[in-house]
Amino acid sequence: MSEYKRPLPVVTEATKPHWEAAREHKYLIQRCSDCGHSWFPPAPNCQRCLSSNVEWVEASGRGEVYSFIVYHQGWHPGFADSVPYNLAIIQLEEGVRVMNNIVGTDNDKIRVGMAVEVTFDDVTEEVTIPRFKPA
Amino acid sequence: MPLKEFLDKTCFVGVGSTPQGQLPDKSGDDIAIWAFQLALEDAGLKKSDIDGLFVQSSFGNQGSLDEIGQRLGLEPRTSATVNPGGGRLFQLAALQVYLGMCDYAACIYGTNQRTNRNRFAGSPHHPSGNFQQVYGQFNPGSIAAFNFRRRMHDFGATEEQLGAIAVAQSKGAALNPLAVFRDPLTIEDYLASRYVIEPLRLVDFCFPTDGGFAFIITTPERAAGLKKRPVYIAGVGAQDSYLQLSHPDPMYHPSQPSNARSLFESSGFSPKDMDAVYVQDSYTPNVLSALENYGFCKFGEAHEWVQGGRIELGGDLPVNVNGGQNRETYMVGWNHTADAIRQLRGECGDRQVNDAELIMCAYSHGLWQTTQSFILRRG
Repeated sequence: MSEYKRPLPVVTEATKPHWEAAREHKYLIQRCSDCGHSWFPPAPNCQRCLSSNVEWVEASGRGEVYSFIVYHQGWHPGFADSVPYNLAIIQLEEGVRVMNNIVGTDNDKIRVGMAVEVTFDDVTEEVTIPRFKPA
Repeated sequence: MPLKEFLDKTCFVGVGSTPQGQLPDKSGDDIAIWAFQLALEDAGLKKSDIDGLFVQSSFGNQGSLDEIGQRLGLEPRTSATVNPGGGRLFQLAALQVYLGMCDYAACIYGTNQRTNRNRFAGSPHHPSGNFQQVYGQFNPGSIAAFNFRRRMHDFGATEEQLGAIAVAQSKGAALNPLAVFRDPLTIEDYLASRYVIEPLRLVDFCFPTDGGFAFIITTPERAAGLKKRPVYIAGVGAQDSYLQLSHPDPMYHPSQPSNARSLFESSGFSPKDMDAVYVQDSYTPNVLSALENYGFCKFGEAHEWVQGGRIELGGDLPVNVNGGQNRETYMVGWNHTADAIRQLRGECGDRQVNDAELIMCAYSHGLWQTTQSFILRRG
């Protein structure tokens, strides 16, 4: 495995459970214990009712492509060798939209509405990055 | 106080624009001050007349209110940094003029973003960490690309249809001495242009340039004694949203429809009254969303509506006839306000919109977090 040159997660208090779960190949998002709202990226309070009674729940990992784009320019040196690479907005079954990459298929086979599911990319010994693949 | 009482009570009386493109050996603040001097001269005012100072920061820690204020040697009655600026800055400046908190408000922006090689890529921010960088989102144009991809899916829009915007804007730029890129662009050139973030091509992106703009705003009574014909603020609208991807419909600038309602309802004008339109077009798909959301065409049809020269000079609705921010200069919309004012003064020569009396300017910043609009009226 060649050295991973792309940016690694900057783990903050708010995002730590997400990244730690990823190492165990689980995809965690947050849900408000008071009103049931879910969101991503992680934040310390519910954006709907402002409760800080926030719980982490394992998402189904299933969703569909809401929109996608293909970078033909690599602004970051770690991505320079990867162009063209895709970036997708994925609507999870839980209703949350997340930005991520689609792997396991060619960029020109990606479609809006395509069913996808989470997969886990162990990029270093310590870090796993969730991505999505065709379901 | 109803919004409409504010309308027609303030006007733009001075416009300054430095050369655009590359201005080596000048800082953003040098350029900002240069633009201010040009605006004063244009209005026929002296520095000492200015008692309101409104500054928008630029990348590279430039455009600090303290720094600009000190270098200008001003003791204004009121001053503020407004970020994101543009439409919001002009609205707040005009409001303070209307309230009598100042008589002559100077609005100033300058940047050396080209020479300074500023990077517009996202940076890690709390509490969300760096999810964007981890997955490779390094350019704010990504959102416009997602938007147009979704439009292709939802409404069958094509890349060639999107090209009509860059082509139309290039025709305006060719006639604009201030424009940085004045070469004509055909649809064939457009389709041959390389993808940067597919489905967007290089010419769909604004091009960061060095340059500065400044405006002076005052009351109609004070405007009467000045050099140039005033341009009235005859309509204002605004709507913000910080829901980002949580918004139920995030792809088509969802703040704009309610912005448009307040703009047209308070002013009594309708989209049909507009002689031209300027849209903050950091990326060309923004033009499509604005034309729909402000009611110039039906939702989901803008990519068809802009075909056949409709948005070019001489068309039904000239849009961004300065050349837009991919051809004229990227000044976060300030260049659009300047061109609208000059059009309404009849100063635009070969690219003058015939008998221009009413022009709408639409601003948006970020994804669509803040949007503002103006209707400007010939004095």
